[in-house]
Amino acid sequence: MDKPLQVDYRIHAPVELAARLEVRGFTTLLGRSGIGKTTLLKAVAGLIPAAGAPFEGLPPEKRPIGYMPQSYALFPHLSAIENVAFPLLALPRQTRLGQAATLLLQMGLSKELHHLPSQLSDGQQQRVALARALARQPKLLLLDEPTSALDTFTREEVMHDVIDRLRQTGIPTLAASHDTALAQLSDHLAVLTEEGVAQQGSPEEVFAHPVSRAVARLVGLADTFPGKVVRTSGPWVDIDTAAGELVARDVKDLTPGETVYWGIRKEEIRLVRVGRTQCGEASENLIDGRIVKLLPRGLSTELRFEGPISLSLTVPRHQRERLALIPHTDVQIALDPRFVHLMSR
Amino acid sequence: MIEPLLLSLRLATASSLLLLLLGIPLGYVLARKRFPLKRLAETVILLPLTLPPTVLGYYLLVFLGYQGPLARLFSIEWAFRFEGLLIGSVIFSLPFALTAYREAFRSLDEDLLQTARTLGAPRWRLWRYVILPLTWPGLLSGTLLAFAHTLGEFGVVLMIGGNIPGETRVISIYIYDLVQALEFAEAARVAGVLLVLSFILLYSVRVVEEKWTNRFRSITAFTHP
Repeated sequence: MDKPLQVDYRIHAPVELAARLEVRGFTTLLGRSGIGKTTLLKAVAGLIPAAGAPFEGLPPEKRPIGYMPQSYALFPHLSAIENVAFPLLALPRQTRLGQAATLLLQMGLSKELHHLPSQLSDGQQQRVALARALARQPKLLLLDEPTSALDTFTREEVMHDVIDRLRQTGIPTLAASHDTALAQLSDHLAVLTEEGVAQQGSPEEVFAHPVSRAVARLVGLADTFPGKVVRTSGPWVDIDTAAGELVARDVKDLTPGETVYWGIRKEEIRLVRVGRTQCGEASENLIDGRIVKLLPRGLSTELRFEGPISLSLTVPRHQRERLALIPHTDVQIALDPRFVHLMSR
Repeated sequence: MIEPLLLSLRLATASSLLLLLLGIPLGYVLARKRFPLKRLAETVILLPLTLPPTVLGYYLLVFLGYQGPLARLFSIEWAFRFEGLLIGSVIFSLPFALTAYREAFRSLDEDLLQTARTLGAPRWRLWRYVILPLTWPGLLSGTLLAFAHTLGEFGVVLMIGGNIPGETRVISIYIYDLVQALEFAEAARVAGVLLVLSFILLYSVRVVEEKWTNRFRSITAFTHP
């Protein structure tokens, strides 16, 4: 992979936004809807006025970028090959059609060269749009919500394929998305929150160690709570919370009295007692409360737990069946100190 | 009948061409740009729709006549001449053409135009390969409508052009003359020709509009998957 591309933009309208991030290979810009992801892409493409690097001051037609909006924006009156040849109109007809055909072949669309966009599936339309965005060999590819129009069942497979093809071209790509599955497939991940780019790094790093509650929410750590550091001992730290004193792994040098936020993934919470039945080893970080709601989540079940704090946990189907879980049951849960994640804001 | 008919066709052709030239940029701006006093500009342009033709003709006569401002400033005196008719026709048919043009341009998807720019398309290429191919049915139907409207125009033409054979006596005025002179047989023939012409033109407009509606539907279906 080539050296990272620095993107640094300041936008005042339609939203106030300052974002600074690196693009390495296939980079996902993760953020909730309306946070300004599309706006940032449009600013980099030169479609809305903004200050920043790279490409500041150039009109969109002069910027070495490829831009694919959420709707793909294929020209409905032109066939696939004519769509891809459009950016090459300065070249002689035979040359540009030849290049367009090569690009479509690389995208695996050898049979659809002369189809109109309306005759193509969503995934095929996307590949035509990608081929068209790549035609001028841009220095940066900008994709807006590339998974939103794809079929839920084939989404991951299609994007895997697309990312592989993009890696082969070696063109750095910035994909704006709220899709955590796409974020996990990326080479690099940048998280956009109200404060700008709150965290960036490898997907593993960001998903395992979100730096703030805003980032945590986006990467699937939904329930977070405040706490106060009581004492530290070696790699462990005791924190005072609404659920009593809890032990967690000390991620950075915390000092007693400091306020921290903590959270734990739904999948990593254990049930240790249901009603009067002991069903797991007693350990540290035990909290008593009751199950108030059961929500089916495919083959697992999400339980809403209420006690001194409210949180959600998921249990596999076999456990739910074995324990005959029903709402309004008293339970005890355990939070493994290794998985209690601490954040400073 | 031939002379006034040819004059009418010449007038309608010339005003349609002028309308295209004037109406396309104007329609595009009204459809896609925001600017101060836009509502005012739209009202002024649409005014001939509700204004009696004699009122419009009267103002044109005053403006273009031998003591009008154009005559005094530039020694241009276009009343009772083909040029005067042409200006009157263009102004009178502008709302018809422009409404159609504006709708055609409104149907364009903003994403499409923006993306085309990021693909390196200079403005002319955008018009040549994207905007015109997607909007021509709307532009054509507006122009045909304006053409038909000009053929049938009477009040404005009479006020500004009068009734000079070969110069300003268009077919609608010729029919009026014939009836005044009680030449009903000739009047019936001429009226019949105009009826057929108008029918053909409007029928073409319907055909084109249908094509446009279908295409428009395919665009919306496509851009909002």
